[in-house]
Amino acid sequence: MKKPNHDEELARQAKELFDDSVERLDAATLSRLNRSRQEALAEIERTRPIGQWARWMPATGVAAAAVVAVVVWQGVATEGPLPPTDSATDFEILIGEDSLEMLEDLEFYGWIDSSDLETNGNVG
Amino acid sequence: MSARAGVFAVSCSREQPKGAMTLQRERQLNQFLAGVERRALRFAEIAVRDRDDALDLVQDAMIKLARNYAEQPEDEWTPLFYRILQNGIRDWYRRQMVRNRVMVWFGRGAQEDNDYDPVAMAPDPAGRSPDELAQTGEAMQELESAVGRLPTRQREAFMLRTFEGLDVAGTAVAMGCSQGSVKTHYSRAVHTLRDALGEHWQ
Repeated sequence: MKKPNHDEELARQAKELFDDSVERLDAATLSRLNRSRQEALAEIERTRPIGQWARWMPATGVAAAAVVAVVVWQGVATEGPLPPTDSATDFEILIGEDSLEMLEDLEFYGWIDSSDLETNGNVG
Repeated sequence: MSARAGVFAVSCSREQPKGAMTLQRERQLNQFLAGVERRALRFAEIAVRDRDDALDLVQDAMIKLARNYAEQPEDEWTPLFYRILQNGIRDWYRRQMVRNRVMVWFGRGAQEDNDYDPVAMAPDPAGRSPDELAQTGEAMQELESAVGRLPTRQREAFMLRTFEGLDVAGTAVAMGCSQGSVKTHYSRAVHTLRDALGEHWQ
């Protein structure tokens, strides 16, 4: 090989060798490069919607928090304090064993009712 | 048409070309990467002397370019891409240094990859004889070896200017330094290589 006489000649020869080595890359390597490129392009697809949403996420979050705050504040201001409830008593009635037994003995209570009527009728 | 409807119409008419423009930008990026990937691989391979690692570095550079700089003007992609690749190569060197230190500490010296073959044994597209191929391969190996022995900044300047054909401004962007520094590093690299290769390139 001819000895390079100056910088440009050395650079030219070096570039020729480099280009030659690029042209001689094997098919398997080219295939891997192609796959890498496709993955890089797919990255755009993956990041684009997230990027657009991410751009609006702070504003959306602030707006949602403001709406919730207004609704809660309005509700408290208009309704005022709730009246005391008698929920504990209702609950006791619902779970009381007597009421359940009464439901099971409807026929018995129907008989008592009819016998009372007859008794009253007799008396009256 | 009310003012609100007019704004909506303008907004919609802007969205459609934007989507089309994005697709066009993807095609441009695909074309750019397809054009640069082989040279980038050899570039990285000469720097790290390992094809698998070079492939990983090129893939990382592609992904980072697509993720972060796809919207940049197309003429800025080349220096940006090589800057990303250079940063990846520097990180690779740092990791290697740490690994070698650990290996030495555990009593195992860094393994020399003397069996490294920089030129793949692929059929020659130019149809040259095996002797010519061997001669070219040997010259390339000598060049790679000499380039690999250059200081980092000189190697970067030489490879970007000579192999990738970047101008001084583009090389400065890729290296993250001034144009004056690029000229200095490149000049020193060429002189060092001329001295190193002189005995072989006759």
